[in-house]
Amino acid sequence: MIQALFIALSAFGLLMALGTVFAKNLVHAGLYLVAFFFIVACQFVMLEAEFMAAIQVLIYIGAVAVLLMFGIMLTRNIQGDDTTIVTKQWRLLGIGAAGSVLIVLVLAINSYEPWTALAVRPEFPVKQSTTTPRGQAIISMTPAVGREMMTRYVVPFELAGLLLTAALVGAVVLAQYDNADEAEALAESSKQSATTS
Amino acid sequence: MPSGLSIQDFVIFSPVILLTIWGLLSLIFDLTLLAGQDPTTRNRALGMWTLAGLVGSLVLSQFLSYKFMGPSAGTDPQIFFGSLNGGVLFIQFTSLVILFAVLITCLSMVWNFTSHWGEYYAMLIWSSVSMILLIAAEDLLTLFLALETMTICLYLMTAMEKSKQRSAEAGLKYFVYGSVSSALFLFGISLVYGMTGTLSIAEIGHILSSTEKPGLTGNVVGGVAVLMILVGFGFKVSAVPFHQWAPDVYEGAPTPVSAWLASGSKLASLVAMVKVMGGGLGSWASTNSPTSPGWVGLLALISAATMTYGNFAALGQTNLKRLLAYSSIAHAGYMLVGVIAVGLSTEPEEAAAALFFYLVVYGLTTIAGFALAAWIDRDRGTEEVEDLNGLARRHPYIGVAVCILMLSMIGIPPTAGFFGKLYMFMEALNVGGTDKVTMVGLVALGLFNSVVSAFYYIRILKAMFFRESDRADLKPMGPEIALPLGLGAVLTLFFGFNSSILLSDMESVSRSGLHFTQRSVNPDGYNVPAPGVVKPAALKEVAKPAPVTKPAPAAKSSATTTKPATPAKPATGVPAAAPKS
Amino acid sequence: MTQQIPLTWFLYFASASFAIGLMGVLMRRNAIGVLMAIEIMLNAANVNFVAFWRYGTAPAGEGPLTGVMMALFVVTIAAAEVAVGVGLILLCYRRWRSADVEEFDGLSG
Repeated sequence: MIQALFIALSAFGLLMALGTVFAKNLVHAGLYLVAFFFIVACQFVMLEAEFMAAIQVLIYIGAVAVLLMFGIMLTRNIQGDDTTIVTKQWRLLGIGAAGSVLIVLVLAINSYEPWTALAVRPEFPVKQSTTTPRGQAIISMTPAVGREMMTRYVVPFELAGLLLTAALVGAVVLAQYDNADEAEALAESSKQSATTS
Repeated sequence: MPSGLSIQDFVIFSPVILLTIWGLLSLIFDLTLLAGQDPTTRNRALGMWTLAGLVGSLVLSQFLSYKFMGPSAGTDPQIFFGSLNGGVLFIQFTSLVILFAVLITCLSMVWNFTSHWGEYYAMLIWSSVSMILLIAAEDLLTLFLALETMTICLYLMTAMEKSKQRSAEAGLKYFVYGSVSSALFLFGISLVYGMTGTLSIAEIGHILSSTEKPGLTGNVVGGVAVLMILVGFGFKVSAVPFHQWAPDVYEGAPTPVSAWLASGSKLASLVAMVKVMGGGLGSWASTNSPTSPGWVGLLALISAATMTYGNFAALGQTNLKRLLAYSSIAHAGYMLVGVIAVGLSTEPEEAAAALFFYLVVYGLTTIAGFALAAWIDRDRGTEEVEDLNGLARRHPYIGVAVCILMLSMIGIPPTAGFFGKLYMFMEALNVGGTDKVTMVGLVALGLFNSVVSAFYYIRILKAMFFRESDRADLKPMGPEIALPLGLGAVLTLFFGFNSSILLSDMESVSRSGLHFTQRSVNPDGYNVPAPGVVKPAALKEVAKPAPVTKPAPAAKSSATTTKPATPAKPATGVPAAAPKS
Repeated sequence: MTQQIPLTWFLYFASASFAIGLMGVLMRRNAIGVLMAIEIMLNAANVNFVAFWRYGTAPAGEGPLTGVMMALFVVTIAAAEVAVGVGLILLCYRRWRSADVEEFDGLSG
């Protein structure tokens, strides 16, 4: 039962990923991407990491996908959507590279015994009082994540804060419209095109 | 689970905390006190502010090293639950990165390439913070996060010259190549995590070397993981199949940012690479069968291609920044020889010290080279080699300084560049067994390439000394350019004549800060783990001491991961935090 | 209930999505398309991390949540990367009136 569900969901997710890659229209690609993100959230649920699933939905679907949509809307231009995919040779190269990576990865996974032997995940006593820290983390992940963030991962936590600050500040700087700079750069580009043509 | 943070951790970490806050303050000052001022004033004021913060942090870290680390501090402690190195390695490289950042700040004050000065200097400070953390990271989570923070700051700095089209283009190119390679890197890490169940670099090293069959023979997953991790690092150090971004980005970025990419980013990535490849994946360096040579074989190919391509491509360049970019690719090739030596040597600490020596010297000389480019960029807006014509006749001191720098880049005694190459290639030649053939070949190729590189470095000198220029002379360079250029030349000479100072310093860093898995050479010359390693009793001796903040683990029967019961306390060093129970 | 799915299935899913993401990176000419493909690759790595966390046994001294924490931080990184990426793409779009990577050829490769 659960296996069939897994297969169906995964197949759907991979189709969505393919759609993201192949869709001519970028808005469609973005919508496929949202579906893919959702399937990944489902996978997290099947791995008993519901907290991760929630984060996946909140951040990937709620923020990343919306941001990408904004990017698409703001850069949509007269060229249309035909140029989003490259020529045939590149397409063959891409498919070939991806296919070989997939084959190598599957062969690698199959040849690694400790992984192929793991059909059953380690079990933990379900009772709060008797279980190990790891079992507890699975039963109630949110407090465990909070505790870990404030102890073992306190440096990465602070660093992530720095990363987000830097990205925020930087993105604002880049997207800001400065009249003088803009004029100068456009003059430069028109000069360039004049010399090349 | 280790309980409690020691106040000691924060004390050791304070230079980095200071820097982070300083960056935020520079943003705030730009928006409050300096609002409405013209860009030149803001650049001056914020540059001085940044310099003050960097120098303050440098003084603080030196004071800490004086206070807490003696000359022989033993093994470095780990701080913050084992996520960071908190000893000699951390302090020394903090000082070094800050020194580079000071020189870059000087270069940034030369002319107004952007109007967003508050953000620019904040990015500069934060990227140096993340470089420090990248060097100090002891687990792959911190390492990856620091690597991403560093590159994101660098993408932004690259694209900040908004009045130039090429800057935006360089930023986007850098971003696309960079994020693809970090996605590959991440997948590689995930495979390693799957094999070991941990992200701590030292722990990964122990687990991988204590299986019955260490090495990569028959281990396809390991091979794929290594390949992906090498792609990630190869991109960061601009090694050859992943180098396409480097010339464009170096040319398109504002000159100080190019210098920062070539010095700081390269230094941090290579130290991290030595930690991960030598420490974590050290037992996969070379295997018992000649047909599957481990990551060393792969890296040898990359290294050979990198130095040859970099040098030959540099021969045809007329743009000074592009030339320096290709030269940086070529130097990455030499440095990878050092990484291979770390992977194969029976004394990896010494090989790492030789590599670090080279990195420091290269960083100083390349910043000085970009200072020269900044000078012509400021006054003429271009940076062609032709623009250097006749400069040495008009400015003899600068001519001498550049001469020293170029000799060091080629590797001619008595400059430090010569000793850097000498030490690194000597370490490479010390490798025994069948790998020796590879190493001799690589070193020979490296020497041949040094000769090739002489042609384009000498072209710069030829332009400066022997060509006449009918153009107006450049304005005096001012202290902002003179300091990086002069300091580079002086230190290159100084470390040339006193190479043992820097080398012994780097040796103490690598001895106390890097953890390599124990290796010995069997009669056939292949590296196999020391016979005792797999035995729990022997493992205890080679295992790293417990991080100071961790309480001594109770004696457990599962000795494979048990650490010595008493944390090794440095002789004059950090007092171990008492385990809180 | 979920006991019957073997670890390798999750790994196959992750590998396949990773390969698709790589294909997208190689095939897309539009910078936003490339960005989407990179997101797919990061997600694939995240599935790996969480799967290894749930199925694996951590060595002694390891925290209870290593893989999940890594995945969590990767999500953070991805968000920051997308913000910066979209900013860069907008900047280039204003210069070239195009988000096509191949149009940006001012620097001689």
